[in-house]
Amino acid sequence: MRKTILFFIVIAVFCHTLKAQPAGYAAVPDQAKFTEQFTTIAKKTETIKSNFVQEKNLSMLSDKITSKGKFWFKKENLLRMEYDKPFEYLMILNKDNLYIKDGKKESRVSVKSNKIFQQINKIIVGCVQGAVFNNPDFKMKAYESKGNYLVELQPVAKTLKDFFKTIDISVDKKDYSVTTIVMNENSGDNTTLHFTNRELNSPIPDALFTIK
Amino acid sequence: MRYLLLSSCLVILAGCSSVYKNLRPAVGDVSHVEKFKPDFSRALYKTEVDVVGRHLSGLLLIKTLPDSSVRMVFSNEVGFKFFDFEFKPDGGFKAYYVVKQMDKKPVIKTLKKDFELIMLREQDIKTAYLAQDDHNLYYIIKKPKGFFCYVTDKDGTQLERMEISSPRKPIVQAIMKNYKNGIPDTIGITHKNFSFTIGLKRIDR
Repeated sequence: MRKTILFFIVIAVFCHTLKAQPAGYAAVPDQAKFTEQFTTIAKKTETIKSNFVQEKNLSMLSDKITSKGKFWFKKENLLRMEYDKPFEYLMILNKDNLYIKDGKKESRVSVKSNKIFQQINKIIVGCVQGAVFNNPDFKMKAYESKGNYLVELQPVAKTLKDFFKTIDISVDKKDYSVTTIVMNENSGDNTTLHFTNRELNSPIPDALFTIK
Repeated sequence: MRYLLLSSCLVILAGCSSVYKNLRPAVGDVSHVEKFKPDFSRALYKTEVDVVGRHLSGLLLIKTLPDSSVRMVFSNEVGFKFFDFEFKPDGGFKAYYVVKQMDKKPVIKTLKKDFELIMLREQDIKTAYLAQDDHNLYYIIKKPKGFFCYVTDKDGTQLERMEISSPRKPIVQAIMKNYKNGIPDTIGITHKNFSFTIGLKRIDR
């Protein structure tokens, strides 16, 4: 009897480990230390300039929508995402204000007045700065492979749970920069942001983030 | 019998309206309207929605799946999904996902009807009747609370507009034009009884 119980415990632990661990990754033994290291390096990051490829993967349709553009970040809270293919779309986040230029149409939104934008703002800027790892709205698990960290964020807050199952962030071990953000929806669909040609701390004029 | 039905439709249409009062029965093959049926095997549209002072933009992917159902997924440019609809081949409909702010029966019903109008679904075309006035041909499909109406030029070669109509007047007008390989490049849907427009412009893959 004891043997049977032990067998089930072993199976349960084994299955749990299998389920919890992404392939090719092992759990980071000291998550607090990892968060601290990431945050320390992120604090030294004044600017980020990068290209990005965004993929919206639609599982049931076996299809994806790919778009491309440029990404600029400047401390503390300035963000510009400019999509240029296959459509033109500009989004500037300047502290609490969001500006969107969609073709010829321009709109300005106060992020404070919109909870969803507040969350998206918190996630994107938080990912870049590492603040998302200390965000109480998420439960965090960190894994590592030879060259990468993989941080899995599971939303705790109800509003976020409606949108995301998990948010997976890949971090390059070399410079602790974010290479990929995958936002997994409950439906099985996801949106992936993949950053390439990253330049850290090169000068970026404030004018790029000006909302007129 | 068909003629009788058509005549009664026209009587209803004309009875209390000014918009359709000049329509008279026409003879012709209703299946000709099928040539305007869009081939939504896979089409991606840049989408603009204006609804009572609010503006939404994003991408609408329309795709026909192997079981012939048509899926429509609308998300914003950043990937945030607004809805995921399925139009089944038997005429059925399923909303797989609707963002909380839009998840209201009248909203879903309105969108469903608007998209059904532009899809020219087979089961609708089968029940169509033909009418005409001095300038146009009208392919009319009776619906529980009114009509779908496809208005072409006199020869039936150009689709001029599509309408969802009450017995008296159109409540939705739509256009679909610049077909390339069966896929319309531009689609516009305008509601007449409240401020609601949908504009679709195809994005080449």
